[in-house]
Amino acid sequence: MALVDTSVKPIRRIAGVFASARCLRPGGRKRGDARAPSPRDDWRIDQLPKKSPSQYFLLNLFLAVVVALVFGIGSAYLAVDRGRLFGEVRLGQWTTYPTAGTPDADPYSAATTARTGQIPLGKGEGMAFFADRDNAGNRLEPNCDYRLVGQTPPGHLWTLTATDAHGHLLQTDAERDVLDSRDIVRRDNGDFDITVAKNARPGNWLPIGGNQPLTLVLKLYDTPLTTGSGLAEIAMPEIIKGTCR
Amino acid sequence: MIRTILWLIGGLMLGGIIHIIAVILVPYFTTEDAWARVARFGPDAQFNVLPEVKPGAEPLPMLDPAMAHAVCRFSLDDGPIRLNATIPYTFWSFSLFNERGETTYSFNDRTSGEGKLAMLALTSSQLSMLRENPPDDLESLIVIETEDNHAFALLRAFIPDKRREKDIDAALAKAKCTLLKI
Repeated sequence: MALVDTSVKPIRRIAGVFASARCLRPGGRKRGDARAPSPRDDWRIDQLPKKSPSQYFLLNLFLAVVVALVFGIGSAYLAVDRGRLFGEVRLGQWTTYPTAGTPDADPYSAATTARTGQIPLGKGEGMAFFADRDNAGNRLEPNCDYRLVGQTPPGHLWTLTATDAHGHLLQTDAERDVLDSRDIVRRDNGDFDITVAKNARPGNWLPIGGNQPLTLVLKLYDTPLTTGSGLAEIAMPEIIKGTCR
Repeated sequence: MIRTILWLIGGLMLGGIIHIIAVILVPYFTTEDAWARVARFGPDAQFNVLPEVKPGAEPLPMLDPAMAHAVCRFSLDDGPIRLNATIPYTFWSFSLFNERGETTYSFNDRTSGEGKLAMLALTSSQLSMLRENPPDDLESLIVIETEDNHAFALLRAFIPDKRREKDIDAALAKAKCTLLKI
């Protein structure tokens, strides 16, 4: 009955029997009469096919440390590499990060600022807005034309540029890469209509280039928005997709 | 088996702690941060005019191609820093950054008071020393008391058109960032 049982105790007992049997084997080498079945023999026969508890401990510890390092460092890298995570304010298709690049920034934002060496706009200088999708939610593509229609929030001056996803300016075939509020032709009600396209367009035209998805950057200088007046109700230009090639 | 799963959960929790520590330490271990990049444009404690912002050759990330820039990196360990600039007939703005590249103080031509940059950056102890022997034009200065001994100042000036670019670059080149002896 004990032989069929797989619990540890009977096996241990059998092992004990083996051990004592070996000791008492006739003609076997005797190391003195004091050689009795010791717990060491017992352990050896009992545990040999399995791993020892300390080996399990080390294996588990190793696994846990590997998981901790891969998960910890990997997730930290992704979080910092993918850009701003928190503190964003969305206005239509435009996003701004009021605390980024200030001592009030969250740790992720501070890490991104440090790693990229970006130079943010101070609160007393202005505010930058970013857009990488059109009003239908599609990623902005360099092979498409886009129209920016509407108004900007109040400010002394604004500039519009196109960058790649990492904030680098796009190479354009035109001689310029920026459009500013002083160059703009407006309608009677103050609205403007800007075309963002690779090839020259009549009216307000922002040249773009390259073949990577793009981000539009609207920098609004000397604006009352930065001094804490509500960001919620302001109007930003709508980004409408035109024809694509 | 259950024991191994518990160990893995423990590993994930430890990973969470490593994640937090790693993110917090990033600013202290980056070599390409703004503070390091700014040093490449010339000596500290003077305004260095940055090259034109062009695609593929941006002097610093996220600068505006419609602007001309001058930057002065300084340390307050040796004394207060005095900043002076007069930029005619265009929008300009000024921002002070700490060693971590965060803007700590900023204003523009309309909020500057007299339409020019006249500023004194100093530490608390330097301020108390200065009170005993104030400079003559203290009234017209913006005095910034800061905890950050290492800082850089960035001056941006809007270029309305190509013809004005030369004048604006010349005004930026004349901007002063000088160490005061007290």
